[in-house]
Amino acid sequence: MGHRPGVSAKKQSGEDARRWPGSAHEARRFILDELPGGSPVEGLAIDGERFGAGEAPPELVVPELIEPKPFRAIRVAEPKSVRGQSGFAGFLDGTQKLELVNHEDGISIVWATVSAAIRARVGRRMVAWGGRPPTVIGSFYFPFRYVSGLRGEFRNHPRVVDTAAANEDGKFPSRHPAALIEAAVKRVQQDREKIERELAEAWCASEKSALYVDGSITSSRIASSSAIAVGVIKSHRRLYGEGDAFQVLVTLKAGERTSIFRVAPERRNPVASWYLRLRSGAGHDALFGLVRVEASLSDDISSRADEISRWILAEGSPLALPDGRWDKMAYGIRDTEEFLRAIS
Amino acid sequence: MSEPLGRVVATERKPNTPHEFHFWTSLDCPVGIGTIVRVDGAHPVDGRIPHIYGIVVEGFSYTDLQTPMHDVLSHDGSPSTAGFSATERSEIRLYTAAVLRQIPDEPLQPVPMGQVFLAAEEDVAVALRMDGYLKEGANTGIPIGVYRAGATDSVIYLDADFLLGPEAAHLNISGMSGLATKTSAVEWLISSVFAHFPESKGSIAAVCFNVKGPDLCYLDQPAVRLEDSDRALYEKMGVKAGPFENVTYFAPYTAKGFSLNTLRSNEALLDNVTPLTWGLREVLAYAEVLLNKDDIDAKADALIDFISERVVDRKMDREGPLSRDHTVQSFGDLEAWFRDLLQGMERANMESWRTHHVATIRKVRNRLSNISTRCAGLVTDTGDVSDLPFGSFEDRSVYVVDVASLEEDAQDLIFARIVSKLREHLERRDLGVKHLIVFVDELNKYAPGDGHDTYVRKMLLDIAERGRYLGLVLFSAQQFRSQVHRRVVGNSGTALYGRMDGDELATPGYSVLSPATRTKLATLERGQLMVRHPHFTQPIFVRFPRPAILSGREGAERYPQAAEATIETALYRSLRSLDSAISLAWVKNLTSLYDEEELLRMRNAALLQKPPNVRAFFEKRLRSIIPAEDPTTATRPVPASLRPLPIGDPYDL
Repeated sequence: MGHRPGVSAKKQSGEDARRWPGSAHEARRFILDELPGGSPVEGLAIDGERFGAGEAPPELVVPELIEPKPFRAIRVAEPKSVRGQSGFAGFLDGTQKLELVNHEDGISIVWATVSAAIRARVGRRMVAWGGRPPTVIGSFYFPFRYVSGLRGEFRNHPRVVDTAAANEDGKFPSRHPAALIEAAVKRVQQDREKIERELAEAWCASEKSALYVDGSITSSRIASSSAIAVGVIKSHRRLYGEGDAFQVLVTLKAGERTSIFRVAPERRNPVASWYLRLRSGAGHDALFGLVRVEASLSDDISSRADEISRWILAEGSPLALPDGRWDKMAYGIRDTEEFLRAIS
Repeated sequence: MSEPLGRVVATERKPNTPHEFHFWTSLDCPVGIGTIVRVDGAHPVDGRIPHIYGIVVEGFSYTDLQTPMHDVLSHDGSPSTAGFSATERSEIRLYTAAVLRQIPDEPLQPVPMGQVFLAAEEDVAVALRMDGYLKEGANTGIPIGVYRAGATDSVIYLDADFLLGPEAAHLNISGMSGLATKTSAVEWLISSVFAHFPESKGSIAAVCFNVKGPDLCYLDQPAVRLEDSDRALYEKMGVKAGPFENVTYFAPYTAKGFSLNTLRSNEALLDNVTPLTWGLREVLAYAEVLLNKDDIDAKADALIDFISERVVDRKMDREGPLSRDHTVQSFGDLEAWFRDLLQGMERANMESWRTHHVATIRKVRNRLSNISTRCAGLVTDTGDVSDLPFGSFEDRSVYVVDVASLEEDAQDLIFARIVSKLREHLERRDLGVKHLIVFVDELNKYAPGDGHDTYVRKMLLDIAERGRYLGLVLFSAQQFRSQVHRRVVGNSGTALYGRMDGDELATPGYSVLSPATRTKLATLERGQLMVRHPHFTQPIFVRFPRPAILSGREGAERYPQAAEATIETALYRSLRSLDSAISLAWVKNLTSLYDEEELLRMRNAALLQKPPNVRAFFEKRLRSIIPAEDPTTATRPVPASLRPLPIGDPYDL
């Protein structure tokens, strides 16, 4: 599995006597034994963003307000004042890394590593959270139905994922290479989301301090209803700013949040949400420094939103540079990403 | 097993090699430049887990910042707000260590990944290969200091075979002046050598040349104060915290010849101060030291050889230009011989005598006669000799030759002759001890790297290159190692470095040290040394205790130098040290009856022969004009009683 000491490895039943690959390089050699007729592919990384949810078309959604109308900007911190204290004690993030390692008659064999970790802050320094070790899992993703000659043992391996299973309508994905890769990316994202969710729930079950989750918390019933899990979303393909709200959103100043609205995606859990401008957008695009925050629904959500917003603003120092998303990213999340990069 | 303090890391850009590796530690780890660490390899090689010992030579610290500008932006350009950041940036302590030793030695491979531990005491011994000479049967370790890091407090030993011969030898110490490093270190090391030099290797003594100030003038006096930490170091290293027990001082007289020309002239310390005086015979063999190349051409050299071989200590009958018989035993006799010879040649209108041209004779007369003037106090006209006890040197004794107050010529002469004599005796194995340490400070002056070749430099080179075979070991010191002759420092098997000047560290000789090590050298505290020794593949930093000896400055305050004495006082002081029955009145009687020269000659003879009854010694040898001492003069006359002061008005007398 290529796991480092202290990194949990999902125990695999019936694991091959051979060592499971710990890297794309090892995966390339491994799959050659399993699919001798395949053609190895050297160093072709797959940009998950190109094929995943990120490719969904941008849309504007009317916010379902929780706070009294109208949708407005609310100042939570003075932009010139010293940044306040933060109540976040942990930072959760996950990563995924996909690589095309083989072709079998034009069918892509993808090797992907998903990882997630919580980094806890102790004395202003980041350390791995002791509650649950970080998770790193490497798996093969390919459409079984389009690949012949698969050994039963390999096909049934828990780390070998079929990306061509029929959907709810009983339809199978197209043989189109791009469609197959997109299907693989989606499965990888699901796997990544799953381990992130498990970590978030472990935190909520054992800790009392707040957890900063990079991304939405709506996938977890426990996290979305916990008072200590806060999701911070940096990408805005779906913008809750249709109508008058749009003007409020794009003119939001640093240190201001919007009114709180309810977010309840399909097959996910409802949460309270609001936008927060971390840095002045002057001279930048409309979404510069803008994050959407998710927290559990509660009666005191307005005061909690103010407090959580101030915490998130406090996390703006130090800057997450050199990450390109530094305007929206907390340093703790950058640290977690670097940590995952180091162990996966 | 102790907790690991770091992990070995290697990247393609910064790989590990067989002689260097990198590791990171936590931020609060007690690792610094000079710390010795042990790496335990993760995988066995030939069935053995490799252990690699290294010393930290460089350290790096950095964060995940790409440019300093990012930090400025993080804190809105205000340093005062930096403390309010919710999180501190990830930071690394990355160290580079030079490999001291790999076990197993073969195959010699790049340092593997593994955990890094602080070296424990036994690790230090292995890392520095001290285990080879500390084991039962070898036991040739000489403590030089204590290596400290974290909880490790380990004695560092030099190998006597490589410090004092025969495998290698000599020690050189460099350091800035005035930081109590060079002299203190040598004093401490000689104490350590005396305490630990194996008896099986024979006896050892030290001859120290005190070339400046009172540094070495109080080796037999205890330190005014010694901190508990110093005492602990002495105890740990098994060396008695006390002054040297057997020290003898040698110093020439002042030009007047009354008192000794040394800073150790306080009456309370004179009991082990011995005059150093040489006559014609002793000096002539080293005339080359005092005469420059212009003085000694081939003709003059031939005449000097002739005088040495055929004139000195031989009876020269009246013949040719000589008007009388001569027996030349002193500079006075030599001058009389020259005078008689030249007058005779003038009278006979001779241009040469025994193939020596009159001009050459005049020139040699001029140069040789001048020696007793230039080295007055050391070289006597009378030929009296008081010398080091060549042939009866004692084990674990220190002989200090104080030349600090002498002119350069006299210093050179003393150095050249004493070292030559030591060498001769060691060659014949009749010095009295088997090994001898010679300590010379200010090597910049005596063995400079540039300038013309001098007799003294040749002597030092000779010791450095061949001394170890004889048991003659040079301990030398200087401020600027780069300015000392390369063959002298190059032949020093062991080198010590105290705090160094930045300019000196910029010279090529120090380029083998890492920048961090050089910086550490430039900031060393008192009592710290960097040690290079043949067994140590990298320099090691150690602490040594303050010498348990009265320092030069404190000694000069406690025992002020005596004022230039009168002939009476000088005679009284020196003779009283031989015979407590000597009175000042008796000495005054002598000075009223005899001339100074005669009395000084008698004093010198008495100091040499140390008669139990000095008065009888003088009475037997002086012309019989010495009166019996009047008993009334031997005691202080009782003064008449003063008239009592009138009560009331003290001025109404």
